[in-house]
Amino acid sequence: MIKLEQLFKWYSQGNNRSFVLKDINLSIEAGDFVSIMGPSGSGKSTLLNVIGMLDEPNEGKYYFMGEDVLAMKTKKRNQLFQAHMGYVFQSYHLIDELTVYENIETPLIYKNLSSADRKAIVSDLLDRFHIVGKKDLFPAQLSGGQQQIVGIARALAGSPKVLLADEPTGNLNSKQGEEIMELFTQLNKDGVTIIQVTHSEKNAAYGHRILEMLDGQIK
Amino acid sequence: MTASRILNRKNKGFTFLNIIGLAIGMGAAMLILLWINFQWSIDRVYPKTHRLYVVGQQDVSTNNEIAVWFSTPKPMAAVMKAEIAGVENLSRLSGINGLLFSVGETKILSKVGSFVDSSFLQLFDLPLLAGNPSTALRDPSQVVLTEKLAISLFGTSDVLGKTVQLDSTQQLLVSGVLKEVPKSSRFTGYEYFLPWTLMEKMGYSDEHWGNSSVNLFVEMKEQANIAAAQAQLKNLIKRHSEVSTQSFLKPIKESYLYNTYKNGQQVGGRISMVKTFSYIAGFILLIACINFMNLSTAQSEKRAKEVGIRKVVGAPRFRLIGLFLRESLQLTAIAGLLALLLVMLFLPVFVGIVGQEVNIPYLDIRFWLLFVGFIVFTGLLAGSYPAFFLSSFNPIRVLKGRFQQLHSKFNPRKFLVVTQFCIAIVLIISTVAIRKQIQHAQDRDFGFTQDNLVYMMEVGDMKKNYPLIKHALLERGIAQSVTRMMSPLTERWSGWNGFTWAGKDPNEVIQINRQSADDQVVATAGFTLLQGRDLDLAKFPTDSMAAIINETAAKAMGFKDPLGKTFNDGNDQYHIIGVIKDFIQESPFEPIKPLVIEGANGFMNTYHIRFNPKLSTEEALAKTEQVFKEYNSAYPFQYQFVDEAYAFKFMETQRTGTLASLFAGLTIFISCLGLFGLAAFMAESRIKEIGIRKVLGASVFSVTRMLSKEFLLLVSLACLIAFPIAYWIMDQYLAHFSYRITLSWDIFLLAGAGAILISMLTVSFQSIKAALANPVDSLRNE
Repeated sequence: MIKLEQLFKWYSQGNNRSFVLKDINLSIEAGDFVSIMGPSGSGKSTLLNVIGMLDEPNEGKYYFMGEDVLAMKTKKRNQLFQAHMGYVFQSYHLIDELTVYENIETPLIYKNLSSADRKAIVSDLLDRFHIVGKKDLFPAQLSGGQQQIVGIARALAGSPKVLLADEPTGNLNSKQGEEIMELFTQLNKDGVTIIQVTHSEKNAAYGHRILEMLDGQIK
Repeated sequence: MTASRILNRKNKGFTFLNIIGLAIGMGAAMLILLWINFQWSIDRVYPKTHRLYVVGQQDVSTNNEIAVWFSTPKPMAAVMKAEIAGVENLSRLSGINGLLFSVGETKILSKVGSFVDSSFLQLFDLPLLAGNPSTALRDPSQVVLTEKLAISLFGTSDVLGKTVQLDSTQQLLVSGVLKEVPKSSRFTGYEYFLPWTLMEKMGYSDEHWGNSSVNLFVEMKEQANIAAAQAQLKNLIKRHSEVSTQSFLKPIKESYLYNTYKNGQQVGGRISMVKTFSYIAGFILLIACINFMNLSTAQSEKRAKEVGIRKVVGAPRFRLIGLFLRESLQLTAIAGLLALLLVMLFLPVFVGIVGQEVNIPYLDIRFWLLFVGFIVFTGLLAGSYPAFFLSSFNPIRVLKGRFQQLHSKFNPRKFLVVTQFCIAIVLIISTVAIRKQIQHAQDRDFGFTQDNLVYMMEVGDMKKNYPLIKHALLERGIAQSVTRMMSPLTERWSGWNGFTWAGKDPNEVIQINRQSADDQVVATAGFTLLQGRDLDLAKFPTDSMAAIINETAAKAMGFKDPLGKTFNDGNDQYHIIGVIKDFIQESPFEPIKPLVIEGANGFMNTYHIRFNPKLSTEEALAKTEQVFKEYNSAYPFQYQFVDEAYAFKFMETQRTGTLASLFAGLTIFISCLGLFGLAAFMAESRIKEIGIRKVLGASVFSVTRMLSKEFLLLVSLACLIAFPIAYWIMDQYLAHFSYRITLSWDIFLLAGAGAILISMLTVSFQSIKAALANPVDSLRNE
């Protein structure tokens, strides 16, 4: 499903290049659950961003569902990723001015779904994550764990094939973290490919495999 | 924190906008205030200003409306001094133009001067460089010159007792040299004063109570009872003559600003202009201050973290308040200096637009106090919000980054933006409406043919040689026709309500304008003849007692078939030989008044020459000059184009229009500067949200739209508020013009659309910039 070949990413500082990603070769199959670990600055978030095409590599090949992503036109690539990827962030990144319901609905608006379709999908997700009672609350009125559940629900609204999570439990206590990991396991069982970046060995263990990164390289 | 560090900070773009906006606003307000200051000083500069009055007259005119004017019959002065209690001194003034002064070979045709009574110089305390003010204008052989005219004539100002020749007739002794008359005096520009006794000697004086032709200025005693004097004065003319006119005293200090009368009542005048512009100055300043506050508070919220840290390390609250106020004061001081620079730079341009000498009173301490006071006021006002609001925060809350109050439903910043744009839109609408009004009057059919037509005043030997001059002009193919008239076509010099005709209702008062012409007036002026024929003195010698009237006069006199009818002007009876289509003699903004053009029997002082269209204008002028060299050699050849004289009628309104558009432009510019900064701030404060939305699939367009929408709503709201206000203001303004446009919706639509377009262009730059940014940068975990 995802195949990276000889991927490099660097920043130019004067004449020097400081590499963030160095010669990454990686293949992830559909239905996989991958945990990326490594110390701060090892390039794990950058790798996740590149996989999610929020960031572009300087060199290398990236195939998503058999297609050469880097050769695609921007518009087509955006459509492809919008249709198949969902993102979860460490600090949730909910929109403060919108209610829980509206936050989940936002990506569907950008997909130009009709209001009835959106309503059906959001209601379904609220149900599934047991947050129906909180749908009219604002993010500030929720606990961190609850906010992250909303974040995951929002990521899943577009029924993505891949869920990208950057330290999804980083701002949560261990009990809340466990709940999120249980949720990921369940999602993975339902067929969603999950790639998560984490600091925690315990959370990493929920994955089928663990990639250790150091200085921009996979060990 | 010093000002230089504020300027060098990462936000220097903001700071720059902020200072520029405030400087422009302050500069514009300063220019207007300088102009207003000048307006207030006009005719208030005399040491005895508070005791000086000008005598006004009023009488019933057409439609029983009461007309007011400020000229008086010549015999009034002596009678007034004898009969009215409290009169200390008085002087008549009768303006003249086109007198030729010569000293040896130096000849100067001086445009502005007047005959005055001997007390004139003392009345107004006009300072003499040389000569005795109490005796300088006593004998008919005396003349008082300004220093400037003296130097042009003699090459020196030391000319007391020297001889100057006036026209070809009078030898006068210079009895006084006048310093330049202050710009704020009504006598500014006057180059000479001649004794009244000379006027009598030259035979220009008359004792008719019905001829109001000279100004009369009165100095009242310090203890004088003005009300009693007014009562005594009221029917003074009636007591001495058959004339029904009533008189009154008007304080000279009010004569410039309060100059408009409607049906005998004082109803504003230039004062309304002064008021309007003081409002505009206030508004521009307000807008600039709003900007300054808006931008500096927007910026200071970004400094909440700095405040938090300072508090954590132990800064007491008053120190923080001091910090913000000091910074704000430093910025306003920079803006103030910049504003002063702008004013110096643009003062000449501004003077050109308003057509009046406006100066920066560098030596006036009040100016500097006001200047510093304003800087301090603005600085404190703008600094107060961040100073008191931010310093009140709980540092932990601020440091945790939960400092968010940006998108609340009511936000003072939004209120300020609406206010700003409201003012800007009102100004735009006013500008458009004034322009349309001018255009409207310019498009009006003026009723005569303006091109190829010049006029000149009769001076020197012109009167004596008129038949020769006319013959030469026609014979040599220079002119198509030549007509001697009372006044220039575009001016009204005479008129009264004493015309009579068969069938006139004796109780009805009808004011009719009077013009006179000797011959071929329809041909020369290019009038449209509706009935009858032109004046033709060669063919019909009786045409000296004939008259041509305009349509409105025919209607006013009630003549269905005016040809052959007669009317009386005093003892003279004229028979009507032609009716012309109405033409604009007076204001193009007013309805046309009844007019009779009397034949050669009337007073005539102005020549109109219609050039032969086969000649170029230069050629025609050169040949005309030759003719006048031959027959009026002592005088320089001077002439005026009728079309230029006509265009002059629009000058004051055009000035208003130019000023209004200038200030509307400035207001919009300052508002947009503010909007630009605010949009940048908004985009920056929502950068995370924009990032999230983009990750969730929002397009650049949808983000841009989201960011601009809020401003669109604000500006639209401003439109809704501004429209009725602008309508009300313009309705009042246009009421000054009888011939005027109706305020149509398209003016409002245009202004609204313009404001929205400009604001959206301003905002969208920032929105697009924000929308194009890479979301990863903004979403990176801290």
